[in-house]
Amino acid sequence: MSFEQPIPGAPPLERVTVMQGQALASASPSIEYSTVLGSCVATCLFDPQTKVGGMNHFLLSEPPANLPGTQVDEHYGVYLMELLVNQMLAKGARKSNLKAHLYGGANVNRNMMRIGTMNAEFAREFLRREGIALMREDLGGTNARRVDFRPASGQVRLRTVEDRFAPPVQPTPRPAVSTGDVELF
Amino acid sequence: MSNTTRILTVDDSPSMRALLNHALSGHGFDVSQAEDGMAALDWLAMNEVDVVITDINMPRLDGFGLIERLREGSRHRDRPILVLTTESSDEKKARARAAGATGWIVKPFDPEKLVAAVRRVAH
Repeated sequence: MSFEQPIPGAPPLERVTVMQGQALASASPSIEYSTVLGSCVATCLFDPQTKVGGMNHFLLSEPPANLPGTQVDEHYGVYLMELLVNQMLAKGARKSNLKAHLYGGANVNRNMMRIGTMNAEFAREFLRREGIALMREDLGGTNARRVDFRPASGQVRLRTVEDRFAPPVQPTPRPAVSTGDVELF
Repeated sequence: MSNTTRILTVDDSPSMRALLNHALSGHGFDVSQAEDGMAALDWLAMNEVDVVITDINMPRLDGFGLIERLREGSRHRDRPILVLTTESSDEKKARARAAGATGWIVKPFDPEKLVAAVRRVAH
C-alpha cells in the first residue's frame, strides 16, 4: 500500500521535513517525517514496544584542526546522535528497544568523493558501539534518496530521486557560539 | 599518593564515554567510567575520585538523582560534580544547581574547555 493512499478513519497526515542538523521524534500516527539525502545520512530509530520513532539528518565535516584525527567530526556526530536518542527517550522510548535504519551517504559530488562514505561509516560504527540493532541500511552509491518515515509505526518508504532534489553538500556546522561552554555555579 | 587527578565519567553512551576518555586521558587524568547513576554509586562506594562528570539522561538513575544521592552523605558533599549534557534548558540547569552540581557544560564539548574546567574545580 502506498503511503499516499488515505486509510479510512485515519487522522490526516502531517508531513514534517527533517532538515540537516535536526533530530525529531514523535509517537503520533498522524506524523510522517520526510527528508532528501545526497551525501547526508539519516538515522531512523524506532521502539516497537512504545511505538515511538525519530529521525535525524546530518553531514559531518572533517574535525576542527585542534581535535585529534578522526575522519569526520565525531564529537559533533555523537552529539547529533545523542540528541535523537534523547528525543526518543523523552517520548517514552527505551534505549534497549531501539531498532535503526540508515539511509544516504551517497558520493554525489566528485569533489567530495568520500564524505558520504565517511558519514555512513560513522553512523554504522555509532550504532554498533551503542548496541542499537541496525535492521536495514541503504547507504552509498551515487544517487540521492528520499526517505519517508512514519515514527509511530516504523514504516519507511525509500525512493531514488534526481540529484538536483538533494540539498547542497554542506557539512552540518557546529554551533558557532556556546559549544562546550562551561558555567561554574 | 599520586598527584594525578582522578575523574569518574558517568554516561550511558559508550561513544560519549570513549570521547571523554580520549580527551581526558590525553591530558594526564586518571579516568574511570560508569554507564549510569547506579553504576556510579557502586563504583564510588569502593573507589576514591577527585571529580565526577555526569550526563543527565540515563537509565536506572539519572544525573539529577546521582547528584542528590552523592550530596546526601558526608563523603561526597564537597566533591566537584560537573554536568555534561545535551540539555540546554534553564529549568534543568537550575535543577542541577539546586541538587548540588558544581558546574554545567553543554554538549558537544570542547576538550580544551572541559580540561580547563576540571583543573579549576579539582581540589
